[in-house]
Amino acid sequence: MSNSVISVISRFLEEYTTTTPNKLKVVDSYLFYILLTGALQFLYCLLVGTFPFNSFLSGFISCVGAFILGVCLRIQINPQNKGDFLSISPERAFADFLFAHTVLHLVVMNFIG
Amino acid sequence: LLALAGAQALTPAHYLSLPDVARLQNLLSQQFTGLDSAYYSVVGLSKLGATIPDHEGVCQFLKSQLDPMSIDSLFFAAETSQAISGCEIPVSNETRDILLAAVSEDSTMTQIHRAVSALSSLGLPLASQEVVGALTGRINKEDNVMAGGGVQGTAARLSQQTELGGILEEIEDLTARLDDLGGIYLQFEEGLEATALFVTAAYSLSDHVDMEPPLKEDQVIQLVNSIFSKKSWDSLAEAFSVASAAAALSNNRFHVPVIVSALGPATLLVTDVMSQPLALANVLVESAYSVASKSVILSHASFTLNDGVFELNFMSSRPASGYYQFAVAVTGDTRLVGNHVELKVKVSTEVVVNNMDLSVVDKDQSIGTKTTRVDYPSKGKSSFTADSHQNFAMAFQLVDVNTGVELTPHQTFVKLHNQKTGQEVVFVAEPDSKNLYKFELDIGERKSEFNSISGTYSLHLIVGDATLENPILWNVADVVLKFVDEEAPVAIQPKTLYVPKPEIQHLFREPEKKPPTVVSNTFTALILSPLLLLLILWLKLGANISNFSFTPSTILFHVGHAAMLGLMYVYWTHLNMFQTLKYLAIIGSVTFLAGNRMLAQIAVKRYVP
Repeated sequence: MSNSVISVISRFLEEYTTTTPNKLKVVDSYLFYILLTGALQFLYCLLVGTFPFNSFLSGFISCVGAFILGVCLRIQINPQNKGDFLSISPERAFADFLFAHTVLHLVVMNFIG
Repeated sequence: LLALAGAQALTPAHYLSLPDVARLQNLLSQQFTGLDSAYYSVVGLSKLGATIPDHEGVCQFLKSQLDPMSIDSLFFAAETSQAISGCEIPVSNETRDILLAAVSEDSTMTQIHRAVSALSSLGLPLASQEVVGALTGRINKEDNVMAGGGVQGTAARLSQQTELGGILEEIEDLTARLDDLGGIYLQFEEGLEATALFVTAAYSLSDHVDMEPPLKEDQVIQLVNSIFSKKSWDSLAEAFSVASAAAALSNNRFHVPVIVSALGPATLLVTDVMSQPLALANVLVESAYSVASKSVILSHASFTLNDGVFELNFMSSRPASGYYQFAVAVTGDTRLVGNHVELKVKVSTEVVVNNMDLSVVDKDQSIGTKTTRVDYPSKGKSSFTADSHQNFAMAFQLVDVNTGVELTPHQTFVKLHNQKTGQEVVFVAEPDSKNLYKFELDIGERKSEFNSISGTYSLHLIVGDATLENPILWNVADVVLKFVDEEAPVAIQPKTLYVPKPEIQHLFREPEKKPPTVVSNTFTALILSPLLLLLILWLKLGANISNFSFTPSTILFHVGHAAMLGLMYVYWTHLNMFQTLKYLAIIGSVTFLAGNRMLAQIAVKRYVP
């Protein structure tokens, strides 16, 4: 059982490193960073407590929101998905990404206290 | 014994008592300041039936003050001269012409009234039809209450044969304007003087034409209330109007309001509104019934007139004590108004305590009771002892001294007073079906009321009622009570209601406990570490900025974007949402335009046809 899991994972990693364009890997590493940051914040909250709760929430939501927006960007600039996003060029996707982030940061800054 | 109170139904609430009449006369007896004050004083006093001193002097005054050209002056002088004897006001043809000329539609109602009155008082001829014409014409133009009074007063001076139908109708319309206040008062909104003058004129006219004025009995009583409720008058004119109204209401052909006042037990004074006794009155009790049992005790019993007051010998019928309602009627004259009066009579009596038996009974009834009789008002010789196993019992009767009937007064209390601590405990004694009072004290059960304090208590019986003349407070005996679980006798503190209460300390919300700085600093560093990881990954992937073109739009975009991020930080530290949005709008639009340009350029570069 664990054998097959390990083989699946190694196969996945192999395919990933070979077939994914560089641009997407850049975005993926950004997403990984966001994920780590969010997880660490959550860990802090579990260990130390929820004071101040609003700050924790804003930080965590910032990570979650950024992750989601990053995923959206990745989907939109993936050349394999070009058929689904005919009217949206990568530049347009990036512009949307920036605009959505502005709104997210505005809300997060408001809530951080 | 009897006591009288109150009068319900619609009977006059206000009238001129003898002191009021005296006060009114006093006000009207002031020194004259002019013809008008002379008129009010002299005529007013004559209406009240008072004597006017020094007729000669008054006459001289009138003649000296008279202005033969003024209608008002002539009116005052003429009317006043009629009230005193032997005074003739000289009249010239000119005077007569002036007065006659005033009788027209174009003069005010007051002028018409005064001119006609002056003509009539001076004995000069006047044409009644002309007057009626002038009045009818004038009343259409002057549709107020004072005019109405003027019309009536004028019409009363005309000859008997004059056709006054139209005027009488107008009067009826005016009476509809009276305001009913609470069902007790009826008056014109123009005030007391107008109401009083109107009433005077109305009765003067109705007597003159021998037709009842358009006022119902209730309205007459309400008018009486309004006119005589004011006991001090602001002006001579007001006092005069009240005096005129009083005279009119005591002496006219149709309505004479009756004032019934109670002078004492079963003694009534029956007068008119000016406190003059009514000559022809007959007072009788139509029915009298007991309030409690509703049984009629008197029917059609007459009061006897005794030296100006009406008395009834009620006590001879030996009524039981309590409250009675009397319906009294004043008869003898068809003009009497408000002559049915309801009076409340209280018959009180003396009470005596009979057969007071005290005993101490064992709860389990094993030991026979020992009853001691105590006679009022002496005190029981020996004191009684009772403990928690026993009951203390009292039985007695309350009897009316006069009739021998058992009474059940409102207040029958048994009070136990601890002589050492001053504590008092009060219980109620209840009568049984045979009106025998019984009181039982279960020592064990009631110990909480005594605070379980044993000792000698003095026993008092308290009897009281509104109809009893001799309330009783009788120290019957002393009782020694023994309680189990006795507490040390504590002097009873008066209830401390009004001392300052203990101060409330407010606890402000404690700030939450913060984690130690070391921990939070560690985690801050920890959070920032993935950034490092990101940079390393990007480097490994070969992410670079080699394509960076130094076009203005690119630079502007990056600057703008950095500014936006900087704005976020400033928002966190200094600004509020509104300011931030304002700056964001400015920077954002710049950044957007530049960014648009920049991305377009990149797209163009990327596009490889």
